[in-house]
Amino acid sequence: MRLFQRQSRTVLFIGFGGLLALMVFAGVDGLRVLRRMQDRSGSIQREFLERGRVLNQIRSDVYLSGTYARDYLLDPGRSAADRSKTELRRLRREMDATLANYAQLMRPEEREPLEGLRRNLNEYWQALDPVLLWGADQRRGSGYAFVRDVVIPRRRAMLSLADEIDEVNRRQVSTGNARLTDLFSEFRYRLIVTLMLTLALGSLLAVFATRRILALESQTTSQYTEVTEARGQLRSLSARLVKTQEEERRALSRELHDEVGQSLSAILVGLSNLVGATPAEVRSLVEREAAPLRRLVEGNVRTVRNLTLLLRPSMLDDLGLIPALEWQGREASRHSGLRVDISAEAVSDELPEELKTCVYRVVQEALTNVARHAEAQSVRIVVQQETARLLLSIQDDGRGFDIARSKGLGLLGMEERVRGMTGSLHVRSETGMGTLISVVLPLRTHPRGNE
Amino acid sequence: MSTIRILLADDHNVMRRGLSALLERQEGFSVVAEAADGREAVELALAVKPEVVVIDIAMPNLNGIEAARRIHEKRPETAIVILSMHADEGYVLRALNAGARGYLLKDSPEEDLIRAIRAAHAGKAFFSPEISRMLAEDYMRQMRQRGVEDSYELLTPREREVLQMLAEGNSNKDLATKLGLSLYTVETHRANVLEKLNLHSSAEMILYAVRKGIVT
Repeated sequence: MRLFQRQSRTVLFIGFGGLLALMVFAGVDGLRVLRRMQDRSGSIQREFLERGRVLNQIRSDVYLSGTYARDYLLDPGRSAADRSKTELRRLRREMDATLANYAQLMRPEEREPLEGLRRNLNEYWQALDPVLLWGADQRRGSGYAFVRDVVIPRRRAMLSLADEIDEVNRRQVSTGNARLTDLFSEFRYRLIVTLMLTLALGSLLAVFATRRILALESQTTSQYTEVTEARGQLRSLSARLVKTQEEERRALSRELHDEVGQSLSAILVGLSNLVGATPAEVRSLVEREAAPLRRLVEGNVRTVRNLTLLLRPSMLDDLGLIPALEWQGREASRHSGLRVDISAEAVSDELPEELKTCVYRVVQEALTNVARHAEAQSVRIVVQQETARLLLSIQDDGRGFDIARSKGLGLLGMEERVRGMTGSLHVRSETGMGTLISVVLPLRTHPRGNE
Repeated sequence: MSTIRILLADDHNVMRRGLSALLERQEGFSVVAEAADGREAVELALAVKPEVVVIDIAMPNLNGIEAARRIHEKRPETAIVILSMHADEGYVLRALNAGARGYLLKDSPEEDLIRAIRAAHAGKAFFSPEISRMLAEDYMRQMRQRGVEDSYELLTPREREVLQMLAEGNSNKDLATKLGLSLYTVETHRANVLEKLNLHSSAEMILYAVRKGIVT
């Protein structure tokens, strides 16, 4: 049983603990993955926008440089050419910075087109460098051709490179999105696995717990049945014990009275006859010898009579319940000075044997208790017969007692007897208020001990 | 003096034979029949018609008290002396109600038995001194415990006289003759006595008289 309990406890502990741990893990893991997905998605978005902005910047710078280069070459005014030249130099610095900036955002896939762009740009600037030293005449002479042959093709090439980079960037976004989708499906997979595990563990736990509970339930039921049966057996045993004891007492009492008592009486008569039959001259001698014998036998007769009454008063069988109770009352009165009043209402002479005995023994025990403990002046005993039951009450005016605290063996014995007759016994007592014992005994029912 | 014819009933052979021998030894006593159980006692009492029946209570077939009741019913003139082991009021009252005039304990001395038979034969009550003493003591104690005045004090001298004579075994007719009263007056006195003492039968009256020590 103890092993069974410990085993159950361990399994339940591990099961519920595991289930809780699994649920906590699933929650924490899910939150972590969600956060990661959110971060990833945000950074993809940000990077895409940033690169787009930088590329646009490069594109517009490329355009602008083309425009400035054309203006420089084709504008006849000196100051305008100088201004364009300055702008071109500023633009070159700016583009270098932008490209360097972009190199930091760059992905490996973008390296090649970006290098191409940078190489083109360098070549473009290198091609442009000598032109910037050109005088007005030279510009006027070969400016247009330079714009047409060098500036425009190089610009086109650079722009197509920028478009290529842009394309790579776009591809990057969709790759990022694909990776995000992968992450999400991985998360979904993990969630499903965790849920399945939780479900499986939960089901196992439920099955185990249900089986244990059912087992415990049936165990409890069988134990309850056992206890009930045992109690019933105990009761019938105790009833049988009471019955056997009573029968034995009666047999002993009868034996003592009929055999021993009668024989002793006969001996007394015989002694008288012996003395009476003796010749007158020796009679006094015989009488002297017989006297102590007679006293001895008389003493024995009294002892036998008292023993007989103690075992089981013959009145109960010869005269009936009420005369036996009255005798018991007088005895109690003689020995303890109690005033005992007995009143009987409609009590039949033909009460069942066990019932008579039960009432008599209960009263006997109660009177003994009163005489011993109650310090009472009087006791009132009422016996009432109704159609289906016999009522008995014993009320004293003694000091009473606290039932909850002291329930002596006497009271338990009474209860046992009454219960053996399927009756009920109630005791009401308060300190200083006396004690009332009420007994209800059903008539016409067989006591359990007979079954 | 004529012989008193006695029927002896006891189921114990040695006892019965001993008693028989004891009574036969007495002058004026004759044991005319012996019975070993109650039924036989009734049959013999009716057949042999003894003047006194000495009968044990505890007997097979029919107990002594029941046998006494039947004998008394059929032949009320038979004097019945109960012989018993039981020194209790319940038995005494039962015996008196059954019509017995004497109640003796079995371990009583020889003289008590002889006195009881003679008293019963003379129509008077007789109880073992031990029984009388016990009844008287119980009665006194009850009076003391209840703290009530003895209702005997309520009786007039004439009623006390009637009570004593009735308890001693006289019939109403005897009283009327001896006291020179009418039968009706005697009956009235008797009824008054019973009412004042809260008694209900002749048996109870005899018991009362014994308790009070009016008769022994």
